Amino acid sequence: MELADSLVADFDVVDLLTLLADRCVEVLGVDAAGLMLAAPEGGLRVMASSSDAMRVLELFEIQAEEGPCLDCYATGEPVLNQGLEGTDSRWPIFAPVALKAGFHVAHALPMRLRGVTIGAINLFTNSPGELSSADLAIAQAFADVATIAILQHRAASEAQVLTEQLTHALNSRIVIEQAKGMVAERENLSMEQAFARLRRHSRNHNLRLADVARDVIAGVIPAASLDQVTPAKKRR
Amino acid sequence: MSNDPGARRLRILHQLVDSVESPVKTKRLCEVSAEVIGMSGAGIMLMSEDVPHGAVCSTDATSALIEDLQFSLGEGPCVDAFHQDRPVTEPDLANPRTPRWPAFAGPIVDAGARAIFAFPLQVGAVRLGVLDFYRTEPGELTHDQHADALVSAGIVAQALLVMQARAPEGTLSVDLEASADFKYVVHQAAGMVAAQLDVSVGQALVRLRAYSFGNERSLNDVAQDVVARKLRFGS
Repeated sequence: MELADSLVADFDVVDLLTLLADRCVEVLGVDAAGLMLAAPEGGLRVMASSSDAMRVLELFEIQAEEGPCLDCYATGEPVLNQGLEGTDSRWPIFAPVALKAGFHVAHALPMRLRGVTIGAINLFTNSPGELSSADLAIAQAFADVATIAILQHRAASEAQVLTEQLTHALNSRIVIEQAKGMVAERENLSMEQAFARLRRHSRNHNLRLADVARDVIAGVIPAASLDQVTPAKKRR
Repeated sequence: MSNDPGARRLRILHQLVDSVESPVKTKRLCEVSAEVIGMSGAGIMLMSEDVPHGAVCSTDATSALIEDLQFSLGEGPCVDAFHQDRPVTEPDLANPRTPRWPAFAGPIVDAGARAIFAFPLQVGAVRLGVLDFYRTEPGELTHDQHADALVSAGIVAQALLVMQARAPEGTLSVDLEASADFKYVVHQAAGMVAAQLDVSVGQALVRLRAYSFGNERSLNDVAQDVVARKLRFGS
């Protein structure tokens, strides 16, 4: 991935990512924030930091090869409310350095695009305490805006795939609604009952709901022949 | 103020960043777009194959009506912009240069819209819908507004894709559904009418549209009546 490389050349986007880090600090009431992106040679690269202390710490995190951002990037999952004090810290090398810089609690949120983690946002606070779920939602929003800002640097094929998925998901939803209407009319059922029958049939025959719906619309599966009960062998 | 697209993009993203006080909802995308261009309101229509699928969001009652009518009638600036793959603008809806959208124009002028501007939502060669703006005053867009609208449409398109990217395979992102009005009842009604008339769902939808137009009722209302079994087609 040449993402981090192309962004280094694009000062405007780095400027925006720095603004994002500053806004994280301001809105979330954390003491420092930083943004790392996947580098072409593997691993992460520091793209933006809200303070110089933060930048130094993030660089150390990469050198030490342990810390919240790296864990978050490796797993694609958020790292939340991790205290840095005590001897049982999950980061024996990183934690003492972070504590010395004045940080007591660490969080990291993934920047994800279609199942791929492209980077992570690091958040640090000086005093003990947890981020609320509302704060987390906002932090995820910041991660999203960063992803939007970065997306233009990605191949157009990415957009193509995502657009196809979006259209496909919407069309599946529409065809299920149409089939519900058709089954409701033919079998004199409510929409809920019609939906239950479509779903039961798809489960019993191990078919996708949208495929059953398409077959019903096309007349391949007549509404009357949809399973009305679950076969005995499948009951618990 | 710099005129290059990169600087515009950055300025509009800054505005979006400044507005983040809760998760980036689709509605905020509409609001920021309208603010950036200085419009009275904006709406986002999801489309494929020239068919409007429903509004992802709208900023106010008039922009909701604009999306609603375009969905119901299958005509309007979003359909033209998507089909022609370019922005479609009508700076004076009450006295248009080229009379078009006969069923759409009247009701939205009555609702207070005097100018309308539609920009395809595009990422590279991929299109996923249209960003519609309206204004209560007639008048052309300035070059600056036009350029900002193009950049906004690109950002909105990418934001929608980022939201969809989080959804499990085969499902629609909950963020996209949050403020959306995809009119599922219309599709349920189309399924029912297809059974009543023994025609395809596509033909059933045409019949529903014709009925709603002929009776000056919204497609959504007609569909509600069909689903409630207050209205039947055929014998």
